[in-house]
Amino acid sequence: MSEETFNPGMSVEVGRIEKELGRLWENTGDKTRASLINLAIYTETSENVAGNTELIAQIASEHACRAILIYANRTAPEIGVKAWINAHCHAVNKKEICSEQITFQLDGESPTAFANVIFAHLDSDLPFCLWWQAPFQEPHDDANLWSWVDRLIFDSNKWEDPVGQFPIVRKIAALGDARTILCDLNWTRLLSLRSALAQFFDHANALPCLDNIQAVEIVHAPGARVSALLLLGWLANQLGWQLDSVLGRHTFRGADRREITFKLIEEAGACISSCRLMTKMSKFSVDRASGGEFFHATATGGPLDSFSQILPAGRQRIADILLKELSRGGSHPLYLKSLDIIEPLLAE
Amino acid sequence: MSSDAPKNPLREGLLSRSVPEPCSLVIFGATGDLNHRKLIPALYNLAADGNLPPSISVIGFARREKTDEVFRTELEEAARKFSRQKINDELWKSFASGIFYHQSEFTNFEGFETLAKKLDELDAQRGTRGNRLFYLSVGPDQFPIILENLRKSGLNEAKEGSWTRVIVEKPFGTDLPSAIELNNIVHEAFHEKDTFRIDHYLGKETAQNIMVLRFANSIFEQVWNARYVHHVQITASEPLGVEGRAGYYDKSGAMRDMVQNHLLQLLTLTAMEPPTDLTADAIRDEKVKVLRSLRKITGKDVAKYTVRAQYTAGSVNGKEVVGYLDEQNVPKDSQTETYVALEANVDNWRWAGVPFFVRVGKRLPKGATEIALHFKGVPPVLFRQTEQVIDDNVLVIRIQPDEGISLRMSAKLPGSSLRIEPVKMDFHYGTSFGKATPEAYERLLLDAMAGDATLFARRDEVEEAWKFVDGIKEAWDSGEGGPVATYASGTWGPEEADELVKRHGSTWRRL
Repeated sequence: MSEETFNPGMSVEVGRIEKELGRLWENTGDKTRASLINLAIYTETSENVAGNTELIAQIASEHACRAILIYANRTAPEIGVKAWINAHCHAVNKKEICSEQITFQLDGESPTAFANVIFAHLDSDLPFCLWWQAPFQEPHDDANLWSWVDRLIFDSNKWEDPVGQFPIVRKIAALGDARTILCDLNWTRLLSLRSALAQFFDHANALPCLDNIQAVEIVHAPGARVSALLLLGWLANQLGWQLDSVLGRHTFRGADRREITFKLIEEAGACISSCRLMTKMSKFSVDRASGGEFFHATATGGPLDSFSQILPAGRQRIADILLKELSRGGSHPLYLKSLDIIEPLLAE
Repeated sequence: MSSDAPKNPLREGLLSRSVPEPCSLVIFGATGDLNHRKLIPALYNLAADGNLPPSISVIGFARREKTDEVFRTELEEAARKFSRQKINDELWKSFASGIFYHQSEFTNFEGFETLAKKLDELDAQRGTRGNRLFYLSVGPDQFPIILENLRKSGLNEAKEGSWTRVIVEKPFGTDLPSAIELNNIVHEAFHEKDTFRIDHYLGKETAQNIMVLRFANSIFEQVWNARYVHHVQITASEPLGVEGRAGYYDKSGAMRDMVQNHLLQLLTLTAMEPPTDLTADAIRDEKVKVLRSLRKITGKDVAKYTVRAQYTAGSVNGKEVVGYLDEQNVPKDSQTETYVALEANVDNWRWAGVPFFVRVGKRLPKGATEIALHFKGVPPVLFRQTEQVIDDNVLVIRIQPDEGISLRMSAKLPGSSLRIEPVKMDFHYGTSFGKATPEAYERLLLDAMAGDATLFARRDEVEEAWKFVDGIKEAWDSGEGGPVATYASGTWGPEEADELVKRHGSTWRRL
């Protein structure tokens, strides 16, 4: 790996990491070490190390953490571990608040090295969030590790094989006595859009329209079909729709057996650039321009006076999505339910 | 909103609360400081976070002549200056398109009739559906005429399927009789459930966190009583003087301006019993019980349990400042207190014998608001031989600035001898949660639109607080309460206040 892409701080001996971290904080005056969570990031791509270090710096400015960045260099001929440490500081009320980052390079195929570096360097009593940036493998030997994970973060939008990956993720979540919370950044990415859609129906007059939806149209960017499907799954789950597949034609059926058609349209632009819910009389649309920070929510026809509103869409940088995920806390009870509904559509 | 009303299934799992129904917000006194510094920035931030109802209309009602456009431009300047989030031009444009100006004297009934007409038009144009929220951002002397005109013009009455509410800014009365009178005037126009008496301290995150700290952490509530707590200190200090508000302040003084509302609210949150649930009335019931349990301080006791004082010339933040009596528009013989310290006693099972020391003052060395629980010392057995003073544990809830919680405890100094020193465990909101927390007014405006009165004072709370304060004020006014002490600007108050805590074997916390 080239030095240009890999500069995660001061090189240290693995056995002296905690001691060297301690030395970082000697005589630092107004600097305060802070940590609310353990955030571990696992990658198998050396080029991601620099980007992840930058991302950790952004995360640390809002979520003080002990960050553990692990680069698994699995093809290395010999087994070995190298480590680096650094700190990310930012000013808060004239003080500097700092988070620590420990970076590991795990060379070769050691079945236990990953779990060991994690176990040895977690900040005690703090939640453990693991962001897995590589394809998941069947969790044969790592049950012990997975049971320690409080929040397993991943991004299903990056997967090449969602059909194969989702079942593994489900297995992992079930390993730790169902304690691990699955945090799909793809689900988090939809949060602002879900809020924008939900706000239409906060008004009592608009609420009955949900029982009359006849068609859904979602416009998604190339490569963001899983995002669109998750959004569709969420709508179906919340509104009690069942998937109805006849001769390769998929629609939903409402509780009253009415048919709800859906169309996923691929177009260059934002991850989801448009979602439209249509009843016979009314249409509820949320649109986002490419690169725009806002949604334009429009309701026309039906029991609500037509209106248009600008709503925050949230930034779509990965750091912003991760920050949103970490800020929310709590579990995602609807995620797996939504996934259940759309899993048959993933393969298409 | 009724709990058995049909729920929006798309809201499940979203942490954001339901967006309130569309409404028209009418701000009386819209050209004033509060609207520019707080209300409009708060509304903009709510819009930026996606929490405002669609098509909300904001109507500024004030005396000066101006157009909608001029009003919007003025508000935009204020929002750019005071908003916690940067103003986005596109969003401001959308938000500002719902801002309107209505010129009228508050005394002019016709102005209310035309307001009613304007609101009906906006309902039709913008779909606000007859929902109205009136914000009285004016002095209390203006409340009666505005409320009367609202009533006469029928604006206080909600149309079928709609709601009408009123937000009233402090001070809510100047004593118990005036508060009762004001409550009666408000109730002639609005039901109690539609009346929202604002105390912005209650909208602060840290004030809201007091209940979470107490009732969501088993270790604190166990020791939150007279068995373990020696005394409580509630402090609100500010380095500012009267800053051009002498006309108001000299009639009010620190007792009415701060103690009757903000500090007694903090005291009730600190001393209350766990509510039966988190509904507005369950919480407010418990707060009222605390106010009712406050031992009244009257007659000669006032001199014993309270201290009032005025600042004299001194130095604050490196600047020489004049004394209160030399401030512009302050009468030379003013007896108005700029500082109050008092010992309150909550006569109930939990707090019997635990003094609550409350102090508030202007021209103090720094600005800080906090609640400090001082715990009783350990039995003087084990470390008696070390001849060391072991500091008592202190749990501090910092309301502002630098919101957070700290716990002082004792620890052994490293070394071969046994030396004990105080150390501090400190939780800072800013350090832990880097994101800027919403302003108090954002939360409170949203709650009022949603009809949630939890963070607003109920009629009986206000009146009970006045009952406690009036006894003290009467004794001060009659001379029974002792003379007005003085303190140099930039110091921590008069010596008499130190004596108040000294007789309980304590000192004021160094902030």
